[in-house]
Amino acid sequence: MAKALSASKKVMKNYLSELLTDDLCNQVNKNHESPSKTTSISENKRLEVLLKNVNAELKIASAEVNTQNSAPQIIKPKAKQGTQNSHIIEVSSEARLSSNEDTLTTQKSADILATKIIKRKTEKTYRQGDFQVLFFNVGGLTVAVPLIELGGIHAIDKITPLMGKPEWFKGVMLHRENKINVVDTALWVMPEKCDTIMKESLNYQYIIMLSDSAWGLTAESLVDTVTLNQEQVKWLDSPSKRPWLAGLVKDKMCALLDVDSLIELLNEGSGIYQVDS
Amino acid sequence: MSDEKSSTTDKTNAKDEILQWVTFKLESESYGINVMQVQEILRYNEVAPVPGAPSYVLGIINLRGNVVTVIDTRSRFNLSPCEITDDTRIIVIESEQQIVGILVDSASEVVYLKASEIEAAPNVGNEESAQFIQGVTNREGELLILVDLDKLLSDDEWDELKQF
Repeated sequence: MAKALSASKKVMKNYLSELLTDDLCNQVNKNHESPSKTTSISENKRLEVLLKNVNAELKIASAEVNTQNSAPQIIKPKAKQGTQNSHIIEVSSEARLSSNEDTLTTQKSADILATKIIKRKTEKTYRQGDFQVLFFNVGGLTVAVPLIELGGIHAIDKITPLMGKPEWFKGVMLHRENKINVVDTALWVMPEKCDTIMKESLNYQYIIMLSDSAWGLTAESLVDTVTLNQEQVKWLDSPSKRPWLAGLVKDKMCALLDVDSLIELLNEGSGIYQVDS
Repeated sequence: MSDEKSSTTDKTNAKDEILQWVTFKLESESYGINVMQVQEILRYNEVAPVPGAPSYVLGIINLRGNVVTVIDTRSRFNLSPCEITDDTRIIVIESEQQIVGILVDSASEVVYLKASEIEAAPNVGNEESAQFIQGVTNREGELLILVDLDKLLSDDEWDELKQF
């Protein structure tokens, strides 16, 4: 039992890294193969690789914009990450023109959206100076939420499930006159890790309210509140597949939630893997 | 001036009509259906199964000479089946111009709700059963889920029921 618990903790420790980058997954798996003596060194390495990957993403994005500005006659098909540089297609001049227009329009609207997201993310009040965050635990995973975007903390009470809702939607909890939409945080954040054993072991105690919305995240325990400065967080400002992630708290290697984006996703009924920018 | 005020109040009151809902229980949750659609509430008596009937049909009962199809509400709401008890009831309803029975764990009471007290359910999930929910309301510290009976079955399923 103790073995299983420590194994579970180890898996959770690596979870965030897996969550943030697919490439990193391979490395984490390799780390699993050669056991724990290199844990702290490998964690640091993971963080570095993670940061490099984020920078690399940004470089690729800017390189793409430059290429399109300087050589409009070359059309690059939309490709997923990693295959972006592999194909350049020559087309007839007419087709080239119309495709160019389409590509430019799409690129333009994508750019506008990206700029909006970046602006919204960087304009947040906690993006200047020191700010406080609350750490809480869910299924061995630590999550941070900026205190300024915390709507409140409630002790968990009777939750009424509603039929036909996604599994991560735990139900509605009444709190005084308010109806709180309760999200099963573990099922939303890491659905693939939530097997029957984990689901049974989850012991939710609190509801973490997201800003002034009706959404609340379940938490097993509250860790503490900490004042962080800007340097202690690796901000993820580029539009990513995980808009709910504001950044990464370097010390604790844990996710810092972008509450507004998370609320938007929940309002849309999106699970964590339905998002694709 | 006072006439204007009173007419506005009348309009608001007219919009905020009071509706009656019959409440019933399934598992530990309370549900409500519009009283205007309820014809009667019966104690459970033997439901005769119909060979080849769809999974949502429990069977049929004879109600004063009329055949009434009974719908398995638990399976419709994705709940696990449970044993029949003394509290089990069949609520006979009229929906989509058909008379059907729905099997419930127990029937509770008739409640009065203002239209303004009813809130929309969170708009997440696109499973078929999500559309059964017409709204939710806070009733004495408990959440009451209001069911839209017309959406309990799809058009095809209502058509299929006519053949019984």
